[in-house]
Amino acid sequence: MSDDILVVENLKKHFPITQGIVFRKQVAAVKAVDGVSFTVRRGETLGVVGESGCGKSTMARCVMRLLDPTGGRVDFDGRDITRLSRPDMRPIRREMMMIFQDPYASLNPRKRVGFTVGEALEIHRAGSPTAIKRRVEELLEVVGLNPEHYNRFPHEFSGGQRQRIGIARALAVNPKLIVCDEPVSALDVSVQAQILNLLKDLQRDFGLTYVFIAHDLNVVRYISDRVMVMYLGKMAEFANGKELYAAPKHPYTGALLSAVPIPDPKLGRARKQIVLEGDVPNPINPPSGCVFHPRCPRFHEGVCDVEDPPEFGFGDGHVAKCYYPLERWPMTVEEIERRPAERRDAAVASAQP
Amino acid sequence: MTTAEPLLDVRDLRTAFLTDDGVVGAVDGVSFSLAAGKTLGIVGESGCGKSVTNLTIMGLNPKTARVSGQALFRGEDLLLASPRRLREIRGNEIAMIFQDPMTSLNPVHRIGAQLVEAVLLHHDVSHAEAKSRALESLKEVGIPQAARRIDDYPHQFSGGMRQRVMIAMALINDPDVLIADEPTTALDVTTQAQIVALIASLQKEHGTAVVMITHDLGVVAEIADEIVVMYAARVVERAPVDDLFGRPRHPYTWGLLGSLPRLEADVERLVQIPGQPPSLLAPPRGCRFNPRCAYAFKRCREEDPQLRPVTGADEHLQACFLDEDTKEREAARTLAQVTA
Repeated sequence: MSDDILVVENLKKHFPITQGIVFRKQVAAVKAVDGVSFTVRRGETLGVVGESGCGKSTMARCVMRLLDPTGGRVDFDGRDITRLSRPDMRPIRREMMMIFQDPYASLNPRKRVGFTVGEALEIHRAGSPTAIKRRVEELLEVVGLNPEHYNRFPHEFSGGQRQRIGIARALAVNPKLIVCDEPVSALDVSVQAQILNLLKDLQRDFGLTYVFIAHDLNVVRYISDRVMVMYLGKMAEFANGKELYAAPKHPYTGALLSAVPIPDPKLGRARKQIVLEGDVPNPINPPSGCVFHPRCPRFHEGVCDVEDPPEFGFGDGHVAKCYYPLERWPMTVEEIERRPAERRDAAVASAQP
Repeated sequence: MTTAEPLLDVRDLRTAFLTDDGVVGAVDGVSFSLAAGKTLGIVGESGCGKSVTNLTIMGLNPKTARVSGQALFRGEDLLLASPRRLREIRGNEIAMIFQDPMTSLNPVHRIGAQLVEAVLLHHDVSHAEAKSRALESLKEVGIPQAARRIDDYPHQFSGGMRQRVMIAMALINDPDVLIADEPTTALDVTTQAQIVALIASLQKEHGTAVVMITHDLGVVAEIADEIVVMYAARVVERAPVDDLFGRPRHPYTWGLLGSLPRLEADVERLVQIPGQPPSLLAPPRGCRFNPRCAYAFKRCREEDPQLRPVTGADEHLQACFLDEDTKEREAARTLAQVTA
């Protein structure tokens, strides 16, 4: 068995934009995910961060084969699942489950909790009805609910409790991989802490692997072993969690980190924020070269807007797609804008360990 | 704070709603004051009454609300003001920004027309003059190519840009007080940073006092002068910003600070506040936080704690029966845990 449970190579998902009623022809495409590669190790948590519209959820749905990728390859547990048929996917589906953002929208309001949690067990014929019921009650207890909640409806629960139900449903079939798509974004801080701690405990107890998608860098830091930063359908930076926060290389990561409000007035006042200008560009017509260049404080004309930077290595699996990576961290805006003249080239990068 | 006459002085504000299930005490004895040019942060989780507090001040509650207390704006009690007088004040002397800029802008009118309306409602000026003010304020909040975009509809703007339009509309009549109700919650973090920086700089320029309502302790840490922490319709702690983060004195505040994942520190395990906020239909007896509080003792379950000053710090108020030594120790422990 290889160490990597999930290997994603050059994954692409383009949504066509069509015109015409009878003869639909494609006029453009939204490049929601445009060439993303990464691996997830068994038992780790890979955090994926980025702002809305950066393609992180689409990427997750492609990995889960809830959407069919336009290009690239997804290997799950040593097997290429990119082109598997529906019947062939079925046994694999019970090994990868998903937890969704909105616990109000992701539970069927007309089904009792016991049914919702046990449905996957029934679909995969995991035992007799009494065995399934016992298992569901056990699951409810594992996620911190009362087994007597079996016959209740979702509206009888608070947001945090509903998210626990979603987690119990994902755990039901003993998956190897759980993709969590913004699981705590809709929750209050005190409840968020409960759910994050629960996810950590479950990972320890059941040896789970998580892909954890969030826009909140604080949350990702707390739960992730390694982190991928996405921008406009592409990977910007990939690093071990600690390193990404201590020594970010991509100017976008730097801007993200400096934009997070710090709940400590002294630290907050002491630091210099990099405030990015403008908005995320339109993915139908992404900028040429590096997609971040129109907002980048280190933009070099003739380089960044011409060539898409390759992945440069910084040792220990840390890669960033930037010709002018940050030299250190933290940096002030002035230091960042004092752009280095030397551009980083592939030859230099590969000389690094 | 004590020297200047407060611009907005809220005293023992109570709001209750009559529902089919009973009386919901959404705000229960909230007091605070705000001086000109200062920023007050109101922090709490969903349902703690932070938004209702401000809707009550502005007279925007539904008819089922029963209100008592005082909300003095320059000495005038807004709770007793006539609807006509309130309309004069709203959008002119006190302006509001809401969480979701898509639902608070009218989707079928051009933003220019909406801004012009805000000016004409309160000022006897020509349409052309109002339009030029609208353009001016759009430029001030950093809308690129404002002259062209003034004739766009709200859906043509991104979330961050819409929130800028809302801020332009709120500030167009140069209000004395700006109430911002979760202005950045729906926005991405880089956009949030832009909006917070914008509010802070406009505030400095115009000397506006700001009430910032949020669930995010990080946002208020950066811009507030004083912070009010609310739990289950009551104020549990109120302090200048450095005191609140440096010497928090209420177990709920410790829980909030401890349950935040940090960007700047490795946290092994987040502090968990067990359970969930109580129903306001039947709040617990005594201190409302006692069922979730790790330090609760007999008195907490029987007696209502009153908001009173911390020894040696008159501006730092808290409502907890624990003795000072325990608080000193526990606050230090929580802070050590989260900022290691």
